[in-house]
Amino acid sequence: MPRGRKLASGAQFIAPDAYPQMLSRPDAARALLNLRSAETAAKAQVAMEAAIPPMRAAILRYVDEMDAAAHDLKKLFAIAHEIRGFAETAGMITTGRIAEILCRYMDDMERAGKPPDATIVALHASAIARAARAEEDDVRMGEKVAAELAALVARRLAEAH
Amino acid sequence: MAPAGFESLKALIVEDNTHMRSLLRALLNSAGIKDISEAIHGQAGMQTLRERKIDLVLTDLAMAPMDGLELTRHARNDENSPNPFVPIIMITGHTEKGRVEAARDAGVTEFLAKPITAHNLFARITEILERPRAFVRCDSYFGPDRRRHETENYMGPWRRAEELQNVGAR
Repeated sequence: MPRGRKLASGAQFIAPDAYPQMLSRPDAARALLNLRSAETAAKAQVAMEAAIPPMRAAILRYVDEMDAAAHDLKKLFAIAHEIRGFAETAGMITTGRIAEILCRYMDDMERAGKPPDATIVALHASAIARAARAEEDDVRMGEKVAAELAALVARRLAEAH
Repeated sequence: MAPAGFESLKALIVEDNTHMRSLLRALLNSAGIKDISEAIHGQAGMQTLRERKIDLVLTDLAMAPMDGLELTRHARNDENSPNPFVPIIMITGHTEKGRVEAARDAGVTEFLAKPITAHNLFARITEILERPRAFVRCDSYFGPDRRRHETENYMGPWRRAEELQNVGAR
């Protein structure tokens, strides 16, 4: 274990040149050029685009599971968490945004030691399903729905605290 | 052909979602990182860390039975941790202040919020290469210096124990 210098607080400070780095200096220089190259950006773009169709299909499967888990809040939260994790990466902005609001609400209620309101959860689950199943992600309409749900959640959370 | 620079790098992706693992692998591949291990939770990730000389960890936060925070604490603090200084990028949708602070206090090197983009992922790797963090050890914490600043007289980067011995001999 490398030894560093002692700080006034008694903590040990270990400078970057005192421990092994991720890459040697020459490799790091080449890696940096590579990370900034147009060729790498183009390859990454192709990778992102290839990932989207299977992600969208997976989100639709999650939505089906969400329908089936309507009365199982724990499972529903787990599914919403998965959806929020990569819906936006898959280009399903509205779906991800509503899943995010639902997850935050359920997190906040758990922290407050209170059960989530079943109506609010059902409203969000329904909005997530509609957004995900829409052929085109209607961002403007979706944002309106998400904003209304967020306002509703804020009111209910204020009542809960 | 331009060299990638990442030929010798061993990366580990710890993520419970198969689609996110695939995407991360594809993005790392596009940057020339080919030697990539995968684990579906922190416990399996720790096992891989012990078995292979991993140079870079990308981990999700929320996983069971061991999450990304616990994985980070084990990687930094376990007596038999093979590389307590390994760079750890935490990738998560949990961007609340408390979660970010918990990740920082566990010893995470960089934090990457979802949705993932190639630009953001590469920016975090660039940050690790260009501005490696000093480490701090005190009674309650071991990990990257939580105050970010430029380190004077940095002469690295150095790689692995062999080079470290050379540093010690200087």
